[in-house]
Amino acid sequence: MAQGRGADRYDAVVIGGGHNGLTAAAYLAGSGLKTLVLERRHVLGGAAVTEEIVPGFRFSVASYVVSLLRPEIVRDLDLPRHGLQILPLDGTFTPLDKGYLWRTDDHGATRRELRRWSLRDAEAYEEYALLMVEMARFIKPILSIVPPDPTHIDPREFLPLAGLAQAFRKLPRIQQETFIRLMTMSAAEFLDRWFETDPLKATMSASGIIGTFLGVRSPGTAYVLLHHYIGEVDGAFRAWGIPKGGTGGVSAAIASAAREQGAEIRTEAPVAHILTRGGHATGVVLEGGEEIEARVVLSSLDANQTFLRLIEPGTLEPDFEREVRRYRYRGSSGKVNLALDGLPDFKCLPGFGDHLRGAISFSPSVDYMEQAYIDAREGRFSRRPYIDMIIPTLTDPTMAPPGKHIISCFVQYAPYELDPSLGGWDAQREAFGDTVIDTIAERAPNIRSLIVGRQVLTPLDMERTLGLTQGNIFQGELTLSQLFFSRPVPGWARYKTPLKGLWMGGSATHPGGGIMGAPGRIAALEILKSMGRRA
Amino acid sequence: MTQDRPDTKRQYDIIVVGGGHNGLVCAAYLARAGRDVLVLERRDRAGGVLAAPELMPGVPAPGPVVSAGRLSAKVAKDLWLDAQGVRLVKSDARLTSIAPDGRAITLWADADKTAAELRLSVRTDGAAYARLDADLRGMARFAARLAASAPPDVEKLRPSDLTNAMGLLRGYRSLGGRLAHDFLRVLPMPVADVVADYVEDDQLRAAIGWRGVRYTTLAPSDAGSAQVLLNDMVGGDGGLAGDMSICLGGPAVLAEALAKAAQARGAHIRLNAEVARVAVRDNRVTGVVLADGEEIGARLVVSGLDPKRTLLGLLEPEVLGPTLGWEVANLRQHGGTSAVLFALRDLPAFTGMSPGAAATRLSGRVLMGESINLLDRAADAIKAGRLPERLVLEAAIPTLLDETLVQGNGVGHLMSVLVHGTPYALRGTSRDGDWDARREALGDQVVAQIEALAPGFGELVVARRVLTPLDLERDYGLTGGHPLHGEPALDQWFAWRPFLGAARYRLPVGGLFLCGSGAHPGGGVTGMPGYLAAREVLAAK
Repeated sequence: MAQGRGADRYDAVVIGGGHNGLTAAAYLAGSGLKTLVLERRHVLGGAAVTEEIVPGFRFSVASYVVSLLRPEIVRDLDLPRHGLQILPLDGTFTPLDKGYLWRTDDHGATRRELRRWSLRDAEAYEEYALLMVEMARFIKPILSIVPPDPTHIDPREFLPLAGLAQAFRKLPRIQQETFIRLMTMSAAEFLDRWFETDPLKATMSASGIIGTFLGVRSPGTAYVLLHHYIGEVDGAFRAWGIPKGGTGGVSAAIASAAREQGAEIRTEAPVAHILTRGGHATGVVLEGGEEIEARVVLSSLDANQTFLRLIEPGTLEPDFEREVRRYRYRGSSGKVNLALDGLPDFKCLPGFGDHLRGAISFSPSVDYMEQAYIDAREGRFSRRPYIDMIIPTLTDPTMAPPGKHIISCFVQYAPYELDPSLGGWDAQREAFGDTVIDTIAERAPNIRSLIVGRQVLTPLDMERTLGLTQGNIFQGELTLSQLFFSRPVPGWARYKTPLKGLWMGGSATHPGGGIMGAPGRIAALEILKSMGRRA
Repeated sequence: MTQDRPDTKRQYDIIVVGGGHNGLVCAAYLARAGRDVLVLERRDRAGGVLAAPELMPGVPAPGPVVSAGRLSAKVAKDLWLDAQGVRLVKSDARLTSIAPDGRAITLWADADKTAAELRLSVRTDGAAYARLDADLRGMARFAARLAASAPPDVEKLRPSDLTNAMGLLRGYRSLGGRLAHDFLRVLPMPVADVVADYVEDDQLRAAIGWRGVRYTTLAPSDAGSAQVLLNDMVGGDGGLAGDMSICLGGPAVLAEALAKAAQARGAHIRLNAEVARVAVRDNRVTGVVLADGEEIGARLVVSGLDPKRTLLGLLEPEVLGPTLGWEVANLRQHGGTSAVLFALRDLPAFTGMSPGAAATRLSGRVLMGESINLLDRAADAIKAGRLPERLVLEAAIPTLLDETLVQGNGVGHLMSVLVHGTPYALRGTSRDGDWDARREALGDQVVAQIEALAPGFGELVVARRVLTPLDLERDYGLTGGHPLHGEPALDQWFAWRPFLGAARYRLPVGGLFLCGSGAHPGGGVTGMPGYLAAREVLAAK
């Protein structure tokens, strides 16, 4: 194992010890490269991190569920042996003013539940699910493609796309049609084609807006609906689950795999800038002044951090720099983690039943969701936000002291840029937290008396603490104009950058965010290919 | 007007349903190729939206459609429209945006002139405007290539598709590296973001962004609105400023010319002939049945109506089948646009605009919607099925370009106001009444809003006529009141406009075609869907 420090030369230096950086390091080291991971913070994991914020309570601070972790990574890195354990999270419970909507993985039960609302919807739900699984099957290969540069002539770059086009042509017409609609429509309108039950549409459409500054009625939000089903197609894994030990548990497992392959991992090692010479990246300089040389540098940070903060101004072409500046982040979500003395009791379904074990979705109607968006577009956090709540301690009791609980709330919308009259996020943080608790208390009034500690994470906090520009949880908005060819910078979607030896490999690159690991893996494989090595 | 001699024939090669501009263009091309063509028009005049209602005795309204600036040059030339008396006059001022405080921004046909004026208000925006204009013109040139040919049918590719694709690929690459990347990036972008990448001033952003949402239910913050702007730039010469050309004598002159062009080549036109259904045997059309029961046979039927009216209105449900029926029923054809047509005593006097400047600046489109946020809010309202606090208005005063339109009666000017923010499907209609109950209230709101910018406007009104989305549906047969026969968003675009199975203008019944704005390249008075559909019809067996 490499022990080198200081002036030692590495084959590869990975900036950022998030799950993608660690995944890339594991692949690079696994191929025999002398690899070093540099993490700014004292903990590994980036946004997939577990921290004890309230004594005795371990929060998945930011990212809180696993959905799309690529099975090939789990296999290649043998993650279960390194401690990865995903616990199923079953069901989605939508509390309403009167009554509730509660869907679970139990097919029959969900069908009965939907029939309570609409016979038509109960029928359509099955048809819809079948179609979505087919769609997911079709789209899945895209997650492991290196996007071609559309202006290049090299036919080899286009081969994977040609295969996809061929597959598309073979799809039945209704599936072709559905694919196009999925890629272009709004989640709400896409769901309108099948369903009439408002809370059902609202809750399903919520997955379309997560991490974007778009409303459920904004075009381009439908395709994220597929993510649920891609997980299902993977088979080996549950669509949604919580990693044992929180999302930091995933990062810890990948880090352990990387170390076993020989990668060296340093925490509290913030990179000040990337060294360049004659258009080549030659290493990095730490904030303490330490220089580390490397043949290749892989940045798992977003494009803004990588090119505008870590690279000396004037090094990059102005055209390229302008594209980087144009890239849109505008974080739209916050996180509120609560340490509780007991369990919330919902007015619409009193008692402590299985409905608390899955996701609890505050999405009573499509209008509610849209109003939450409109609030944000007008420059304030939603007065009544969409909340995706889970109680991880019901699945993994080790996260809190016995009898105590944790509530993790993903909250949208919380726009990074607030109206100037509000005085910025530092002035609004607690008001935002209060709004979230008020929203919950409307449906589970006992919540107020249970809270023993709380953590409020605004987009500004995510930027400061986690290094996510403007608090965007996906390192750049996942919108149609920032996908595939255009991610992370138009023309530079193939993990390379204009600086030779500098590569990108975080959520900022194709196929994007979520605890997926795919960007880190594909970037590592591309680096190895460029060196003529095998993984 | 254009009625033929009584015509008793019972069999034609081709029947065109609907005598709107696309139906007439299509019929003219088909007749030119020697086909025996009959056009059937429900109303008492041909021209669809070009045929204006009467505003008051002897005063034709300035139509819901005013500008004919995007009419395809190829169509005009092929059909010899100038020989039929079509003369277009263009305004130098293409769009003037007027804010409540009286601040006005004019986008001129000449981008340099616009840039020079902008430099005086926001220094950096002058150069930025010129850059944005140049970049988008470049991209629109490629969009024009896309719009000029029939999209491929992915399932049944044919050799010409390959040639076509190669041509498009060459066109795409010839954009050059930066613009080529930009095109793919910009196409699915919100127009608000595209303009924000260049210019700072919100009123200017809205003036440009407006074209990405006009006639649609999109917000400038919605993905796909940039594509609407690019498409609107196709065929025009104004670049970012857009087009404002009117047909001398009114849009009805253009309608008349198109009808004559078709008739001169041998096509027959029957007015007051409403088609009740398309006759189908063994999944193949055999002709049409009129509302009065008359049957007319034809080998092929081409519909200039909107997709829903064509497929759900003219076919028996069992012909379509459940899956396709579901697909068509879900086409997004609910509009958010109304029109209010005015006869005015005199030119409105906008606050802060000198009478000398007014005649020039007001001869283009006049936008009353000064911020992106206002446009966003109008779309919020449309999506939610309610009216916004403030409607977005775009006025056109064709009498400033064509004095012959004024015929006395105390009328000095005609003005057509496009109203954005009026959803076809109003929610909670039981309490507030439907469009029939709200029609005049809408007219009053429009007058009040203009009054706020041009005091004394109300006094100038001699006559007005309000066309709500419901009226657009009833009077013009636009299902859902959508002026473009369906949302032009990315989910109903190119080869999947109106839906993927109808690529190349063929509908899923043998011998049935679509030639209206519901087909590629979409709405607007371009004649392109009619022309491209005619080519496909002629290629059909």
